[in-house]
Amino acid sequence: MGRYILKRIGYMIVTFYVVVTLTFLSMKMLPGTPFKFANRLSPEQLNQLKHYYGLDQPVPVQYLQYMWNFIHGDLGGSFQYGMQPVTEFLMQRFPVSMQLGIESMIFGTILGILLGIISGIYRGRFLDWGMVTLTVVFISIPSFIFAAILQYFFSVQIRIFPVIGWSGPMTHVLPVISIGVGVMASIARFMRTEMVEVLNQDYIVTAQAKGLSTSAVIYKHAIRNAMIPIVTVIGPMTAAVVTGSLVIENIFAIPGIGSQFIDAIVTNDYPMIMGTTELYAALFIVTIFIVDILYGVIDPRIRVSGGKPS
Amino acid sequence: MDHLMKITDLNVVFHIFGADVHAVRGIDLELNKGETLAIVGESGSGKSVTSKSIMGLIPNPPGEITSGEILFEGKDLVQYSQKQMQKIRGKDISMIFQDPMTALNPTMKIGKQIMEGLIKHQGLSKHDAKERAIELLQLVGIPNPEKRVDEYPHQFSGGMRQRVVIAIALACNPKILIADEPTTALDVTIQAQILDLMRDLQEKTGTAIILITHDLGVVANLAKRVAVMYGGKIVETGTLDEIFYNPKHPYTWGLLSSMPKLHAKTDKLLAIPGTPPDLSHPPKGCPFAARCPYAMKVCIDHMPEYTELSKTQKAACWLLDERAPKVDPPSTIGVGGEA
Amino acid sequence: MTSSNHDITKDLFTLADLGDTAADKIAGESVSAWKDALRRFVTNKGAFISMIIIALIVFFAIVGPHFFGYDIDNQDVSRANLPPKISGLEWIPAFSGHENGVDVYKEKNVKTAYWFGTDQLGRDLWTRTWHGTQISLIIALIATLADVLIGVVYGGISGYFGGMTDNVMQRIIEIIAGIPNLVWIILLILIMQPGLLAITVAILATSWLSMARIVRGEMLKLKNQEFVLASRTLGASDRRIIFRHLIPNSIGMIIINTMFSVPSAIFFEAFLSFIGLGIRSPQSSLGSLINDGYQMLQIHPYQTLYPGIIISLLLICFNIMGDGLRDAFDPKLRR
Repeated sequence: MGRYILKRIGYMIVTFYVVVTLTFLSMKMLPGTPFKFANRLSPEQLNQLKHYYGLDQPVPVQYLQYMWNFIHGDLGGSFQYGMQPVTEFLMQRFPVSMQLGIESMIFGTILGILLGIISGIYRGRFLDWGMVTLTVVFISIPSFIFAAILQYFFSVQIRIFPVIGWSGPMTHVLPVISIGVGVMASIARFMRTEMVEVLNQDYIVTAQAKGLSTSAVIYKHAIRNAMIPIVTVIGPMTAAVVTGSLVIENIFAIPGIGSQFIDAIVTNDYPMIMGTTELYAALFIVTIFIVDILYGVIDPRIRVSGGKPS
Repeated sequence: MDHLMKITDLNVVFHIFGADVHAVRGIDLELNKGETLAIVGESGSGKSVTSKSIMGLIPNPPGEITSGEILFEGKDLVQYSQKQMQKIRGKDISMIFQDPMTALNPTMKIGKQIMEGLIKHQGLSKHDAKERAIELLQLVGIPNPEKRVDEYPHQFSGGMRQRVVIAIALACNPKILIADEPTTALDVTIQAQILDLMRDLQEKTGTAIILITHDLGVVANLAKRVAVMYGGKIVETGTLDEIFYNPKHPYTWGLLSSMPKLHAKTDKLLAIPGTPPDLSHPPKGCPFAARCPYAMKVCIDHMPEYTELSKTQKAACWLLDERAPKVDPPSTIGVGGEA
Repeated sequence: MTSSNHDITKDLFTLADLGDTAADKIAGESVSAWKDALRRFVTNKGAFISMIIIALIVFFAIVGPHFFGYDIDNQDVSRANLPPKISGLEWIPAFSGHENGVDVYKEKNVKTAYWFGTDQLGRDLWTRTWHGTQISLIIALIATLADVLIGVVYGGISGYFGGMTDNVMQRIIEIIAGIPNLVWIILLILIMQPGLLAITVAILATSWLSMARIVRGEMLKLKNQEFVLASRTLGASDRRIIFRHLIPNSIGMIIINTMFSVPSAIFFEAFLSFIGLGIRSPQSSLGSLINDGYQMLQIHPYQTLYPGIIISLLLICFNIMGDGLRDAFDPKLRR
């Protein structure tokens, strides 16, 4: 297990290094580098900028400088907000996004697992058919359309929830549902498949042959085995949640990194875009890593043999 | 003698893809205390469905017991609710399965898997159940049981896992043990060990065994009585000796001929040509007629009734009718190569 | 114990002439894998209906923009923000041309009926919506085709040759897969400037990965199977083995994965257009239309409604069809 973790950490570092390098390269390749916005900046700022990036120096030197800054947590300054450090913005807004993401994941995962279990137990029945249809619809509809629908009905028509904002529990409901419903549907679908598969396993018959009650068979034997692989989808799911939260934050005016990111795209605030990109990448990579390790911890087959989860 | 279990006219139908598959078509069987009965037949003959019916584990839908009764100590299990069956399963009747690699829950310690039944049926405390689980592991010949009781199935070899499966089945001293192809998935050397173990355990516990298999070698090793199934019906039953040395049904002949023999003059394996009947449209007459080298016109449209050949042996074949031409069994059926 | 049945006569006890065929006949007709898959697919009602809906949407995407002779950028502020109206269907509230009880058409003195209404610049939404559908579908189609091509070649090479080649190619994939799609896509689009090509390339850049992995997996599985070994023993070339054995046998998986690539491409286009990185005005795509309409959601919800319905229908139908195909090709996965 220890060797496996080390190997994974190695991969993590390589991947992240590639991302940061790519980010640097795309910054170099951007049509019109920071100077394109010279008209927005005062001459001093422009000079400051030039000096800051050392743009008069050859690219390899710039690259080293960039990496040096990066390692020291300096992601440059935002064009939009008078060169205020990007890191500061991210630090300030990240917790909000994190909270939104975690709330959505919890909402979606719990509901999804429940729906998946029920659907799997009643496979082939009407209830199952209804849930399968519902999950396809929820997986398919983009979160921003779903958010628009929720907003229109629950905030504009019957004013139960505020249209926008992020202050107090009521404001969390619609954004969390908008992101969480997709998570719920994907997990429900996956959980159902796993549940059906597990219920067809021989060891379920063994458990029944012991004379255990149906509920004991499902609780003690089926659900645990069906839930283990769920961990594997939670990783990729996080990516979907990040994508989702990007637009959802924008739609509900939530002060997280997502809305900041879109803002930066619209205003061509390149350092901010790069910083956010790197943050997203880091988040994603770390999540996948944690999920893999977690999988090893939960599944005794992997835990003991120390093998790679397949 | 009062039978421990008596099955009368059992019919099981599976409703699959708009068709009714008649997997078991009116079988009668008796099982006495402490004896070993083998049900022999090729895949699809209905032997596993029969054993699942006894356990009340026919998935419904699509399966359904359409008629018949399974009397266990005088009570009809077919009429039992799932709740009532749960009290029987694992306690009075238990089962061991074909593939030990998949029959154990991979994420549960084997000790716990043995303890579950004990806690449920005998109301043992966790501590006592664990003691008993260790005893059982010892009984089925697993070395170092105190340590192994806390291990997971993947830490056991196939043969060891089958021992664990047997320990689970024997946990509550059942009166009947159904063994569904208990050695098919195992290596040949391990097969012998498991068969020895089962014979030993039967001597110690006096459990009656229903042995489901297609392997006549296993039958010869363990069984006292044999029922040969084909196309959802029992075509011949008898004692081990009767079936092996004086078989009357052409299908039994075919089975015996296809058995590899150590001292046979020819190294050719004899197969029964053709495939078993399609049980969604079961044949009107004898199910074996289409593959039977002795098939007569009568066989195609009329199901033969049983002819009692001795107190213990009977067979369902028109050849046993007085009007039928006399046919001698082929010389290839001899056991152990005497032929 | 012998028969008491009186219609069994002595003459029945003669050898029956069954011939050899009766015993060896295998019950049921033999069906090729493709025919079997097709049969299962057609009997899947949901998948079949989805296919029809997709066909209808494609039809309207081609024909729709030419219905009224407007261009996608024909502006006229005098007819701005008209709600949907279909002559003859005014009794349906959604197509009455009324908004909040007011007949907007009468108020603005407009005679022509706009089936999906008009936007804030007075552009015909029917034309723009179907044109947008066209763009979305084109992007999805190109991205998917390219993704199949790259994925199959990459995965095929990696899986077939194995060893060092495979090792290197897999490490590359592993690193790319470690970068979230979104980051990839946004970086690419920023470099290339938003537009049709940028979106297509960006979507392609991420979607080929899963195809490559699936094809590689199939190759690894197939190339060690006996029929391939047999072919190799008989002296077949790599090319022949790949094209005669490996690809035909993995085509099912490729088709299924393609079916799921299309909706994900449609989604990403819409997503990018929605956050302003996609198709720019006056061009329209479903995403950009939803984005435009969303600004007006509280006052004129119909402007979001139709593009929203079409994209949702497209995504739902493609997903259901993909599920149907997967079930059809691989009944083992059928649950």
